[in-house]
Amino acid sequence: MRRVLVGSLVALAGAVVFSSVMLAQTAEPSAAAKSGSSAPFDPHDISGVWYRTSPIQTFSAVPNVQPGLPRTIEGGRGRGANLVEAPFTPAGKAAYDKNKPGYGPRASPPAFGNDPMGTCDPLGIPRQLNAEVGSSHQTWEIQMTKDRIFQFFQWHHDWREVWTDGRSLPKTDDLEPKWDGYSVGHWDGNTFVVDSVGFDDRTWLDKFGYAHTEQMKLQERYRRLDHDTLELTMTLTDPEYYTKPWVSDTKIFKLNFSPVKEFPTGEPKIKNWDEQVYCAPSEEYRFNQRVRDGAGGKSTQ
Amino acid sequence: MKRKLTGSLAAIAGLLLVSSTLVAHHGTSVTYQVDKTITLNGVVTEWDFSYPHPQLYFDVKGDDGKPAHWGSEFGPTPMMMKNMHVGWSRESIKAGDQVTITCNPHKQAGANVCLCKELVINGKKLPLGGGGQNKE
Repeated sequence: MRRVLVGSLVALAGAVVFSSVMLAQTAEPSAAAKSGSSAPFDPHDISGVWYRTSPIQTFSAVPNVQPGLPRTIEGGRGRGANLVEAPFTPAGKAAYDKNKPGYGPRASPPAFGNDPMGTCDPLGIPRQLNAEVGSSHQTWEIQMTKDRIFQFFQWHHDWREVWTDGRSLPKTDDLEPKWDGYSVGHWDGNTFVVDSVGFDDRTWLDKFGYAHTEQMKLQERYRRLDHDTLELTMTLTDPEYYTKPWVSDTKIFKLNFSPVKEFPTGEPKIKNWDEQVYCAPSEEYRFNQRVRDGAGGKSTQ
Repeated sequence: MKRKLTGSLAAIAGLLLVSSTLVAHHGTSVTYQVDKTITLNGVVTEWDFSYPHPQLYFDVKGDDGKPAHWGSEFGPTPMMMKNMHVGWSRESIKAGDQVTITCNPHKQAGANVCLCKELVINGKKLPLGGGGQNKE
């Protein structure tokens, strides 16, 4: 009886395997099925041009973030939803107060501000990961090589590398401060984890002017949810400025996405993130001197 | 019909999303009176298609007959480049052209600078791409 039962189970298993193989051989995915959120994907492949569709352009969803910004096609967390201020220390709050942004609840005309963007200083990491600038530059691109992952940012035409060759993260004190920090990455299941130290404290965390010190440690966690969707959360630890680790909102990015399907002339939209958007100091200075400083009331004499 | 209407609404929503983001770029809304417009007629003296925003400089004849020098900025330069198919190029405007411009005035009195919302060059309305400007 037992031999019959085992034999039956083996036969059944074989039939199931045979059927699966037959289905796989006959169900060749079409070109359309190879793209789109339901298409097959490798969770360890996070390469591509990723467009931010979640609404938050700052490091995290803080009060007064993006008033009036509509919810995105992803739903997102829009204004008013669980907005929490940064866990400042007194020193962190003082540094934040010294930064004068052109955006947000503390916005002032650029003529009176000190946003590094206004003087073409590098935006650095993590600010560039927020993909704050709209339209075609609400993106960054990831390319994966054997021992590194590169991230390319069109706004200011910057790039950073994440070492994936197994090396250890250096101690902060052994590094010179860098605009984009020093990063190593590894896979934790299907989550790509990036740890970074060695940041130049002249960069802002985001367009609202949250600050950090050279001792900041940053962890990024990337997870490809489906063929077209990449999720990113960040945690920074900077005890001098923040009383506890500060976790970002969950940022969602879509592969090769554009909210505008056609140009005003009716032509289909194509990728347009290769304009080499450098910030040329001479151009920025001329613009400020001839337009913004005058418009903001600052004397150009 | 329903599909076409839904598609059109989606395209409009996409444009609005782009526009609201761009208007807030570089402290625009705290520099200009975005809820007010003025219309000026003048002659182009310089067209500066550079970063971060293209700028148009023009003279407006004052009541005393003397020219008042004005400047206007446009949406972010990447939104107005050829690959965005705005419908014109950096060669579309030159010194000496007649200009009628509708723009948001500055918040500081006495600063002859504004944010362009609508532009007519030699009698022809020019599309300005994204950023809330006219989209012809």
